[in-house]
Amino acid sequence: MLEVRNLYAGYGKKEIARDISFKVNGGEILTLIGQNGSGKSTILKTLSGHLRPLSGDIIIDGRPLLSMRREERAKAVSAMLTDRPGTDMMTCRDVVETGRHPYTGTFGLLGPADKESVREAMRLTDTEELAESRFSEISDGQKQRVMLARAVCREPKVLLFDEPTSFLDIHYKLTFLYMIDRLRKEKKIAVVMSLHETELAAKISDSVMLLKNGVCTGLGSPETMLGRDRLMEHFDLSEELYDRYHG
Amino acid sequence: MNKRILFSFILLAALTLIFLLLGVSAGSADISPAELMRVLMGRSSDGTAALILLKIRLPRTLAAFVLGGALALSGYMLQTYFHNPIAGPFVLGISSGARLMVAVTLVLAARGALRLGSALMAGAAFFGALISMMAVLLASSKIKNMSMLVVCGVMIGYICTAITDIIVNFADDSDIVNLRGWSIGSFSGMKSDQLIVAAAIVFISLAASVFLSKPISAYQLGESYAVEMGVNIRAVRIAIILLSSLLSGCVAAFAGPVSFVGIAVPFLMKMLLGTAKPLCMIPACFIGGGVFCIISDIIARTVISPSELGISTVTSVLGAPVVLMIMLRKKKNNA
Repeated sequence: MLEVRNLYAGYGKKEIARDISFKVNGGEILTLIGQNGSGKSTILKTLSGHLRPLSGDIIIDGRPLLSMRREERAKAVSAMLTDRPGTDMMTCRDVVETGRHPYTGTFGLLGPADKESVREAMRLTDTEELAESRFSEISDGQKQRVMLARAVCREPKVLLFDEPTSFLDIHYKLTFLYMIDRLRKEKKIAVVMSLHETELAAKISDSVMLLKNGVCTGLGSPETMLGRDRLMEHFDLSEELYDRYHG
Repeated sequence: MNKRILFSFILLAALTLIFLLLGVSAGSADISPAELMRVLMGRSSDGTAALILLKIRLPRTLAAFVLGGALALSGYMLQTYFHNPIAGPFVLGISSGARLMVAVTLVLAARGALRLGSALMAGAAFFGALISMMAVLLASSKIKNMSMLVVCGVMIGYICTAITDIIVNFADDSDIVNLRGWSIGSFSGMKSDQLIVAAAIVFISLAASVFLSKPISAYQLGESYAVEMGVNIRAVRIAIILLSSLLSGCVAAFAGPVSFVGIAVPFLMKMLLGTAKPLCMIPACFIGGGVFCIISDIIARTVISPSELGISTVTSVLGAPVVLMIMLRKKKNNA
């Protein structure tokens, strides 16, 4: 279980997200909804260890994130980032195997247990047949699935996604979210993600947090958070604009 | 995959052996292979042959191997650090910085301010390499665009070269005769005690690099992924940059500026191995660089024998086309 209490996050002195609190149980999805600059990425980067929290607590299965060593944290939390990975000459299996990094020894060689986790993750993400293909030569949708396998083979307690579907077409968007949906149930992983697509968020999330200018303006079930009035207010949409988009 | 890597290392080992022997047997004095074997086994009765082989050719060939390996490895580390396949000690102006400090040292020595010795020359070159490296690092904290950073390194190189030229203009020819010799670059004239010092530095750096191969493989994915994987990114960056400075400084100190090895060899090794995994690339670059420089050195001292070509002349002819290939290949991948 992931619990965040009164988290203030940002870069150095610059406070971007303020007083954020939530709980996500293993197997549940929390989706962060908000405009660009509302603090979604900052919160995710703080959970993934890229930013130090300015104040507040992040607790994973009863242990504070800040008390963990780097490798322990990496074992507990894996993230799919928006940056493109540098994968010179790497096959898809090589890319997935990098997910086991916190478990491997001095020279980073994978043992039988690591290889089994990699195989399992590739099976669950339908990427087995890509194993020997060069990562640079596959499509964006396939890349996203390989990166998902990479994140999952670590067997984390918490999985983070920063706009995982941004560059995908509708077919890949749906298959990708369906995969996340299946994985978190099967592996009992707590998922926190940011999404722009509110319709998809409504289908997949157990809870939704609305963020505006770094402040939480609502946390609850997708039905209450993503209703017509609430969304119109949240995204500063006029009635006409909203109906044209959702009608 | 694994078969290919195994085959590559067997090939590299065979090439090392062949060219070490060729390197020792090539030269203006005619020594038969049979005599060569006798000398190497310590059973020779020909004193002159033994002297030439053990005091001149063997140290020179070993120096070419060790320093060539160091060059290729430092190039590989710099390319990893900057995420740029054409970064290298020569391109980033590190060799020019070393040359500048050597020139300053020679002029100061001529004025009687310093006592000239090979240790001092080596120290000056090393110091100069470090200063250029610092300048490049300083620039890299401001410049995020990698091709601009390479241009920046080239500019730092030009500035160092210009200052060196000014110093040379004001110095007497006799004072800077050593600079000219140093600037051409050569693996000759290394005494065995210097060779031991160089080999110690290089092999320690090589071992350290191998032990860093796990975090380096994380770093290759990009810094944010490395952090996500639990790597202490600052420590890794410092380790990479220290090792590559140490290696290229060591080469600059003992062999002078040697161009293109640091870029060409890692690329060739990547093509040979079919992987960019640091655990394979680090030893392969070292051995490959060593072989590359033994071959270059053999060419340098046999083509216009009894005179010699500068080592950089040969490595440029062999290495620059590879750099062109890298850029053409990159273009194709982007298209």
